[in-house]
Amino acid sequence: MRRRGALSWKAWGVMALGAMVIAPGTPVFAAGFSIFEQSAKATGMAGAVTAQSDDPATIFYNVGGMAFFDKAGGSAGFTYITETRAHFTGANPFPGEGVTASEKKLQVFPPHLYWVQPITPQFQIGLGIETPFGLQTQWNNPDTFAGRYLSTLAAIKDFDINPSLSWRVTPELGIGAGFIIRKSEVILERDVPQVDPFTFHVVNVAKVKLKSNYDTGYGFDLGIMHKPTPWLSWGASYRSQINVNYSGEAVLFPRSSGDPVFDAILPHLVPYNTSIGAKTEIKFPAQASLGFAFKATPDLTFEVDGNWWGWKHFDTVPLTFPSGQLPSSVIIERWKNSYAVRGGINWASSPAWQWRLGYVFDESPQPEQTVNPLLPDANRNGITAGIGFRGHPIDLDLGVLYLFFSDRTRAKTFAGDQLGDFFGTYNTRALLVSLTVGFHQ
Amino acid sequence: MYRTSAIVSLLALVLLVPGAALAVNTGSADFTNYVSAGDSLTAGFVSGSLIDTSQQHDYPSIIASQAGVADFEQPLVSPPGIPNVLHLVGLFPAVIVPEPGPQGHPENLNLPRLYNNLAVPGETAGTMITVKSDVPSTGHPGLHDLILRGFGTQLQEVIGAKPTFVTLWIGNNDALGAATTGDVTKLTPLPVFTQEYQTIVGAIASMTHAKMAIANIPDVTSIPFVTTIPTILVDPTTNQPVIFNGHPVPLIGPKGLLGPSDHVLLSAGPDLAKGLGIPRPIGTGLPLPASDVLLAADAATIDNQIAGYNAVIQATAQQVGAAFVDANALLKQLATTGIEVGGIPFSAAFLTGGVFAYDGVHPTHFGYAFVANAFIAAINEKFGADIPPADLSAAMFDESIGNPMAAAAAASRESSAASSSSAASPMVWTQYLFTAEAMRNLESVLVTPGGTGSGGHHHRHH
Repeated sequence: MRRRGALSWKAWGVMALGAMVIAPGTPVFAAGFSIFEQSAKATGMAGAVTAQSDDPATIFYNVGGMAFFDKAGGSAGFTYITETRAHFTGANPFPGEGVTASEKKLQVFPPHLYWVQPITPQFQIGLGIETPFGLQTQWNNPDTFAGRYLSTLAAIKDFDINPSLSWRVTPELGIGAGFIIRKSEVILERDVPQVDPFTFHVVNVAKVKLKSNYDTGYGFDLGIMHKPTPWLSWGASYRSQINVNYSGEAVLFPRSSGDPVFDAILPHLVPYNTSIGAKTEIKFPAQASLGFAFKATPDLTFEVDGNWWGWKHFDTVPLTFPSGQLPSSVIIERWKNSYAVRGGINWASSPAWQWRLGYVFDESPQPEQTVNPLLPDANRNGITAGIGFRGHPIDLDLGVLYLFFSDRTRAKTFAGDQLGDFFGTYNTRALLVSLTVGFHQ
Repeated sequence: MYRTSAIVSLLALVLLVPGAALAVNTGSADFTNYVSAGDSLTAGFVSGSLIDTSQQHDYPSIIASQAGVADFEQPLVSPPGIPNVLHLVGLFPAVIVPEPGPQGHPENLNLPRLYNNLAVPGETAGTMITVKSDVPSTGHPGLHDLILRGFGTQLQEVIGAKPTFVTLWIGNNDALGAATTGDVTKLTPLPVFTQEYQTIVGAIASMTHAKMAIANIPDVTSIPFVTTIPTILVDPTTNQPVIFNGHPVPLIGPKGLLGPSDHVLLSAGPDLAKGLGIPRPIGTGLPLPASDVLLAADAATIDNQIAGYNAVIQATAQQVGAAFVDANALLKQLATTGIEVGGIPFSAAFLTGGVFAYDGVHPTHFGYAFVANAFIAAINEKFGADIPPADLSAAMFDESIGNPMAAAAAASRESSAASSSSAASPMVWTQYLFTAEAMRNLESVLVTPGGTGSGGHHHRHH
């Protein structure tokens, strides 16, 4: 039962490949390093869309909503993410008052792509390609940045391939499930310090770059959507935790310590310019959502959602060097589970035009103990606006999100702190613009 | 109008009164007249020397600076210090020498009041109460004379200074001499220490209105002077233990082969270089002298004694409502896991750890800054103060305050660069050699507490 508009497998392949090629490093824009902006309509409503089924992005937000598609539909787009401010101000005892730093301005475009295909009146299949996580923290002036011994660049790149199936159990109730194939890469860069025994000063003896392969993890998602009355619907969804085990290589590049005697010794102690096998693991959190949508009038929809993230499993990140050429270590994170609340409005001023507003509060899962230049996270409030055009067969959506991060300060010393004291305040603002082109029969 | 005038007056006051705009919240602690008491650790001793380039970065002066004390006066000594400060020349092997030339001289001897930092290197709890001059015991003036200037014993001067706040870190030398000579008979008996310590703290508490911050004593097994040299023979070309019949080869101590829990002291370097303690045919087969070795049982005896001292110190601090600094735990952490600051690891490792200087006992400037912040944290907690911690980055990166003789060290390493680089091998990390001159300086401050750098010996007073 081939429908008009359905894509060939070859086209699927081309689209998937395209998404893989352009999947960039992306920064932290939902709390932690999740990215919840996977459709322009959702961005315009602050992500409060768990109980709505009129967007193919329901594959990501609630796969149960796919059950209400009685015709094929798809969409593709991207979210432009940039920071309008990413400053750090230091404090005593280290790196000291008066020390400032800034992150390199981000300009990234994580993509999204969806297709929903009814195969019977009750069953639908779909495919989503999403970028639900990503991180890039890159500091300006890495050779002098005070936190260069912790991190000068940290990046987690990933994309999900998300084939899905849904079942319209009754006219009012849909459920769905999907399989998630997560492809991901990790890049870490920092300088290596050493105390110079001649001066007792800390000198820079190497830059270490660790880069993993694009490795794979597997998971699943579930969703349910119920529309008991024409004016009320609710939905719930769950995306599982996915562990990705990475293998890759670390290379130490020599840096001059400024001391010729010490520089002459270092090659005997440091395995410079050698590819050293490395392994690490990241536990991407599970995520659950619950949303309620109300239609005040046929043209005016309100939705309120809550999200939960299981970040507590992001406890440590091991860095293992099986050859023993570098000491294995563990990055302590100690994150906790977190939540977000979202509210959005969608007003259809005409059959062709929709207008949207939203608000989100997103709680940081990161405890003060592990706030550092590798990954400085913070609570955030966001306001959103959006506009949608409904044509035939093309839809066009634009959503804008402005995020106000709370100042995040590391001020206390903690017992057993493995990352060491790096005190100060991180101050961040961000702008996200999502653009999605849709197609429906 | 009145209100406007008042605001203007207040602004004028803030602008005109020096320091008024930078007032530090010291809580219920009053730093109007801050006095520090103790031994070499409080005096700012670094690399076997009392020298102004280090004294200006000792922990009492850091506390004073952070607490907003403007005129913290110390008995400064000009370079190359008293005794002449040690520095490192080359790394293959690691040779440590004192600065050449005549020793330094006092720069602040005519201060018309008592110093704020009254700590005397080598001081024990007993000598703090009883000694005001080194002349009776050595026949010539020493550091007691330089610092106390005949006005009284250290304890008398602490009280005489009418302090509003006192930091006290005393008792280290009641155990250290035993550790650095391998002779446990040099330990101050616990009942004696208890009586002396309670006398000191009781006198300060009852005869002044000062609030206090008190630190306890680190274990001797935390310091690189004791922990650096392995007790087994190491092949200098591979830095790996020499294996004979499947086993490492232990060095020879005064009572036979050394066990893994025994310690060869840093001062054993010259004797090891002569082949002492090393089995034939590599070495002489003769044992290391007792003064080069701290046997495991003796180390345990000393650390047990220190635990006894520390119980007294903590109880006494509690009795007088003093802030308590657990220096023992701090040093233990450095010696085991180390610490990290901004991703930079520091440890108790000799030369490379960044915390201990060339004598293997006294901290580097970073080490002292770290100690200062431990005091500040304890003071803030106890007295509801908000004294800002010191910036550690200066001690970590600033060329002007790292090594007390950084310029001399730079010149030395430049002159030795060619030979060192051609001889580069990992042996450096287990081969330490103090020159005879360096050993004399070390002995004057470590082996015989109270030494002055001029060869004088000070006898213990209990």
